[in-house]
Amino acid sequence: MFQVIGGRSVQAARLLSPRSAVLLEAVRGRKSREDPVAKSKEGRIKVPPPVDPVEMVVLKERFSEYQLIMRALRLEFKEEVLRKKYQEETGSMAEERAKQEAEEHRALMAWNDQENQRLLKLRMLRFQKEKEEAERKRVEAEIQREQEQQELITQREREILQLQEDAKNFITLENLDQRIEEALDNPKNYNFAIDKQGRVVKQTVQQ
Amino acid sequence: MVHLSSFLLKKYHGGYVVIRLALAGHKQANRPFYRIVAAYNKRARDSKYIEQLGTYDPLPNIYNEKLVSFNFDRIKYWIGCGAHPTQSAAKLLGLAGFFPLHPMTITVAERQRAQTLQAETSTAEEDMREQSQKEADV
Repeated sequence: MFQVIGGRSVQAARLLSPRSAVLLEAVRGRKSREDPVAKSKEGRIKVPPPVDPVEMVVLKERFSEYQLIMRALRLEFKEEVLRKKYQEETGSMAEERAKQEAEEHRALMAWNDQENQRLLKLRMLRFQKEKEEAERKRVEAEIQREQEQQELITQREREILQLQEDAKNFITLENLDQRIEEALDNPKNYNFAIDKQGRVVKQTVQQ
Repeated sequence: MVHLSSFLLKKYHGGYVVIRLALAGHKQANRPFYRIVAAYNKRARDSKYIEQLGTYDPLPNIYNEKLVSFNFDRIKYWIGCGAHPTQSAAKLLGLAGFFPLHPMTITVAERQRAQTLQAETSTAEEDMREQSQKEADV
């Protein structure tokens, strides 16, 4: 009995602790093989229901008729299924369908070709545009580069001119003596203070 | 033999197709509902079937009708492919008119009628006996 607990655990729990007065419902397979027979069923001999011979004859007749009709129906249905299958494969409808499908296929292929052409044209246009764009950009870049080069040249020229200007004030071997004399003659004083308003105060050290 | 369409993967040795009633929604207690189903013989009653061919509701509705539905086209196909209906499925189809009436339906109806007649006659006899007793008393 305890092997059945796996399948009907709820009922088994109720069996083990019967709190309610309600009996368990008849659960199929409650008893296992080794369980003994119930007390109320000890001397029971199972007897099949009595057969009425008259009724049995009538019943046999009815059954034979029924089986005849059933067999005929079965053959009919089988034939219908076979006919349907045959028509599906090699019937008049099948040829028409095949033709229609072929036509559809051709139409679709033509449409596909047209689409391809259209897209090809679009693609070519796009390609052209892109090429023109690239060309334009290249030209622009060249111009830009040229401009930059020009700018560089002008900047260098400016620098050179500046240098030339500065070179007039350089100390060379000829100017050396003169410059030293000048420097000694004019001592420069860099000691000056500056206040918050920005005014320069030169007299800082008591001289 | 006609080639069966749409198998359910498993190959059965010596198995055949049956048209039977399978219990649907069997997690609900006390509310049975059957599906008329074409399935392999070896499969469990409620497990995978090949095709559903109808329904049967055994509990009567508010208008006291028991509703049954059939897909006759597919039933014809399966019977043509060699399916066997079970007894209850055959009885339902017989009552529907698709098959001839099952003999057991007729015999059960006859038995019930005989029983009711017997009960009526026995009650009539009892009434007669009571009446005659009262007359005798009076």
